[in-house]
Amino acid sequence: MSEEKRKAVEMLNISKIYPDGVVALRNVSLTVYEGEIHGLLGENGAGKTTLMRILYGEIKPTKGEIRLFGRKVSFHGPWDAIRHGIGMVYQHFTLVPTFTVLENLHLSFTSVGKKISESMIRRNAEKLMKEIGFEVPLDAIVEDLPIGVQQRAEILKILLRKAKILILDEPTSVLTPIETRELFKTLKKLKEKGITIIFITHKLREVKEITDRVTVLRKGRLVGTVETAKVSEIDLARMMVGREVFLKISKKPAKVGRKVLEVVNLWVKDDRGLDAVRGVSLDLYEGEILGIAGVQGNGQKELVEAIAGIRPIIKGRIVVDNVDVTNRSTVERYRLGLAYVPDSRLVGLVFDMSLVENTTLTNLHKVLTRAKRILWDKASEIAVKVVKELDVIAPSLNAPVKYLSGGNQQKVMVGREIVREPKIFIVAEPTHGLDVGATEFIRKTLISLRDKGKAILLVSTDLDEIMQLSDRIAVMYEGKIVAIGKAGEFSIERLGLLMGGVKA
Amino acid sequence: MIEDIISLTSSTLIYMVPLVLAGVGEIITERSGVVNIGLEGIFVLSSFTATIITFATGNPYLGLLSGTIVGLLAGVLHGIVSVYLRGNQIIAGVGFNTLAYGISIMGLVTIWKQHGASPSVSKIPMISLKIREGLTFTISPLSIAAILIAIGAWYWLFKTTSGLKLRACGEDPKSAEAMGVNVFRTRFYATVVGGILTGLGGAYLTVGWIGQFTRHISAGRGFIALANVAFSNWNPLMAIVGGMIFGFFDVLSIYLPIKIQLIYPEVKITTLAYLFKTIPYIGTLAVVSLIIGRARMPRALGKPYIKE
Amino acid sequence: MSLVQFLMKFRERIRARYEEYLVIVIEILASAIIGFSIGALVLYILGFNPARIYFILFSKGLSNPNYLLSKSTPIMLTGLAFAIPMLAGVFNIGGEGQLYIGALTSLVVVTFTHNPALGILAGIVAGAALGTFKAVLKVYRGVNEVIAAIMLNWVTYFLILYLLTEKLYNPQIPHESIPVPEDARLGKIPTPIGDIRLIFFIAVIASLVVYYILYYTNIGYMLRVAGLSPKTAKYAGFNPNLAIIYSMALGGAMAGLGGSLLLIGYVYSIDTTMSTLFGLGFMGIGVALLGRNNPIGIIFSAIFFSMLIIGGEMIELLAGAPPELADALTGVIVIALALPYTYRMLISYMRIRRMMKK
Repeated sequence: MSEEKRKAVEMLNISKIYPDGVVALRNVSLTVYEGEIHGLLGENGAGKTTLMRILYGEIKPTKGEIRLFGRKVSFHGPWDAIRHGIGMVYQHFTLVPTFTVLENLHLSFTSVGKKISESMIRRNAEKLMKEIGFEVPLDAIVEDLPIGVQQRAEILKILLRKAKILILDEPTSVLTPIETRELFKTLKKLKEKGITIIFITHKLREVKEITDRVTVLRKGRLVGTVETAKVSEIDLARMMVGREVFLKISKKPAKVGRKVLEVVNLWVKDDRGLDAVRGVSLDLYEGEILGIAGVQGNGQKELVEAIAGIRPIIKGRIVVDNVDVTNRSTVERYRLGLAYVPDSRLVGLVFDMSLVENTTLTNLHKVLTRAKRILWDKASEIAVKVVKELDVIAPSLNAPVKYLSGGNQQKVMVGREIVREPKIFIVAEPTHGLDVGATEFIRKTLISLRDKGKAILLVSTDLDEIMQLSDRIAVMYEGKIVAIGKAGEFSIERLGLLMGGVKA
Repeated sequence: MIEDIISLTSSTLIYMVPLVLAGVGEIITERSGVVNIGLEGIFVLSSFTATIITFATGNPYLGLLSGTIVGLLAGVLHGIVSVYLRGNQIIAGVGFNTLAYGISIMGLVTIWKQHGASPSVSKIPMISLKIREGLTFTISPLSIAAILIAIGAWYWLFKTTSGLKLRACGEDPKSAEAMGVNVFRTRFYATVVGGILTGLGGAYLTVGWIGQFTRHISAGRGFIALANVAFSNWNPLMAIVGGMIFGFFDVLSIYLPIKIQLIYPEVKITTLAYLFKTIPYIGTLAVVSLIIGRARMPRALGKPYIKE
Repeated sequence: MSLVQFLMKFRERIRARYEEYLVIVIEILASAIIGFSIGALVLYILGFNPARIYFILFSKGLSNPNYLLSKSTPIMLTGLAFAIPMLAGVFNIGGEGQLYIGALTSLVVVTFTHNPALGILAGIVAGAALGTFKAVLKVYRGVNEVIAAIMLNWVTYFLILYLLTEKLYNPQIPHESIPVPEDARLGKIPTPIGDIRLIFFIAVIASLVVYYILYYTNIGYMLRVAGLSPKTAKYAGFNPNLAIIYSMALGGAMAGLGGSLLLIGYVYSIDTTMSTLFGLGFMGIGVALLGRNNPIGIIFSAIFFSMLIIGGEMIELLAGAPPELADALTGVIVIALALPYTYRMLISYMRIRRMMKK
């Protein structure tokens, strides 16, 4: 680190305040040198993505200045940033899913004002792919490609536009460990070519593996910038969270009771008509947490929706507490003691409805008279119970839930099921997008439910969560359960390999 | 028999013009992600304006132009409301239909003191081909123009770069924006173009075909054009076919009663004609119900694009 | 629950939704202002004096309570016909056709049975059937409800036109249909503000019943959830398709009721150009939007629009300006009501400014 490197990116005193009052960033400064891989670390909501979207011209900063290679710039939109050589790969790719890869490349090229024919683009693309050493099928329709390949297409698109600065936002969140390794190889090659890379992540392991320097954000403020080699993962965790992080939750050994859920040879299709769940069988017992690990998109969502009765079954059987519910409706399954907390608050809540109206969603039968009249008094009582049990912070019972924070919304979703006293809890991504406090709370709640004798089916892409909470673990890959056993039988490495489809 | 085929064909080509023009215009608008159900209102307003101008100047071409300009302005209004103000596109369209109807009838009453129809105005002359004695094939020059415009629109949408950009706005505006397309501007212009073509079609109603403005000049044709958009699977070439099919229903509703009257002179046709007038609507509904199943609309259609 | 408790709860509920209500009030005021401004412009262009016209509009519009409330009845019901499906996420602009068919079936039934209650029932059933038909087309054939509604509007229009001129016309007064028998007509009832037609009260009761259904029964709850978030509805075990069908059936029933009340309790016959029925369905859309799709709001909104319509008629008599001004005003108000986001943006903009100053 002795040569005088150019400062590729300087973001000085950036602040961003949103119309509804949320302060996303306060006085954050960032310097990235040319040709380095710079990590941007922080929890969910720390402001990392917001900061980069400002750099990319997508969002206008409320205050602050940006300099590229020493010159001050002001972007009015991504096309400005693109013209200055910045490219960004989001978690949700900016490829038109119904076009082919080539059409997408064509679109991105000519949108920056260059007139190029598709054959020229094809030639340039093939040349570049050979240089870097990866393959992307140019004539395939984007949405038909596996995610890892789509991401490569996205990177190809950016490189073809002669980007000098590449921003990647949590790129590994949708990849298997094998694809992640490929990505890191590619990034190292790009670094050799002098491309500056900013790598947004919340995964400490990745920061240590691939970055030269790392900047840590917490709750919209800058904590510090350090050289990766000089810090440990625990140092980084402390910077990220601001207090000693206890990565282990203490829990008593499981007291397992009778079988309450049985899934037999289940086959389910996804929204596109392809087989998403291919012959899955599993049992769930009282008093245990069964964690289903796997990268997003391997059938977990479809499995869980099928068990809840929201998605139709092609083949197989589902038995709840010795009652065959395969042909029964969702409402009947709920009434037999099944509870489902979906992974998306958009699905589990109606944002424009009040807290009371939302807690009533799965408790409707409790507040209905025989004449089908709703007793809102009773519904309010249920809502009050939820607020008390889960310590929900809300302006009022009648305010629309969209005004609640994400963590509190999650608490409402979980709490409303808890007060129903069901036998089986199916929870998907329960702490996704929540801050550390809320995450801890929800996880402790799940454990106490399990201690009370409930059966919990946990679906999560967060391996730490799976390992912390589960008594037994199952791994899903491409619609099948590739391994199932006691939690002690799985190490993080073994889980990673199984999730990537490797027999381990 | 031959006379029937000739006259049915030429009538279909005359009747289909507004459906094709507005259909193609709306395809362009919807391919960019905006839905404009105010086509009916544009028809009414542009046909009315064309009638006034032609009445005042005696020149139907000026009338045609003025109607087209009205369509442009309507497109601008809908574009601003839908794209820049992020309004609800369906409600805005419904409101515009009511507004256009109100303004036109207000004008009709004020200017000509009539409640049903305006006086006749000069029309754009038809083109006639003499096939043999007593048999001519008559269409409007706009019939040809409509087909050419549809073909041109198809080529532009699918074979050019700017067409690709426009389609991206309708499929995935976030990605389009990220790739540097100005989604707002593109959608706005697409809406304006749609308005222009629909205005042309509306002006044609009075100044190229019927020859006067009536209270029910459009009678739901704007909505049949919308059905044509879906029927054509958002492809301008298919909109020609759809326009001919729906136009043919319209032709039938006029021809069948006349034919039946000729064959059975004792039947009272004037009232029975009302029943025949339902043919275009039943036909459209049948087509929409039975045939359009597999249609694939632009993914982002109708959703206002909201940046942060 | 005592009155005091009820009021306190009400106040708390309002305070909780304070911001929502503020936005709603601004929306209503802004759209009305925009509507009248543009109307004034159009009047001026056409050579009239906007001030004089608006004066006639408002003063004459409100002068006769019976006329005002009677005219508000059909559009109150077509307003419900649009609002109920809207709450379930469906655009029902078929109020026209549903009203026509309600009026027609009422006429036929009442002519044979001389029983107004049966006539009203027939109208409700006919309207509900038409609404259900469109819902079925949407659910099972994916037919866009806007297109289906307009097509069926025109089909019913011409069908009824045929029946009126061919079979159901009054031999003594050929441009009218056969009249409703004298003993089946609904009349007025005395009130402190004069004799008011019974149909107005029936309509208000219908609105209150709808309000009850929407906010106090499981069907209404299911409809609203499905309308706000179909995915959540499925999660909760509700069938979004049923929401579509129920809401269209109920909405159609309301429009049908509007048609039959109009016939049996007001005009007593349909003229053969159907001019008394035409346009009421579309006006209902404006009524519903201004009333924010809330049945109570719709009652007042209907009275407001009724004032516009009556004012429009008076304008024609007194100033020679065309009554379709009411349509033009309605149209602009509806367009203005399509802009919810704009007002929200305005409010948040004002809030940032306040925050930045801190």
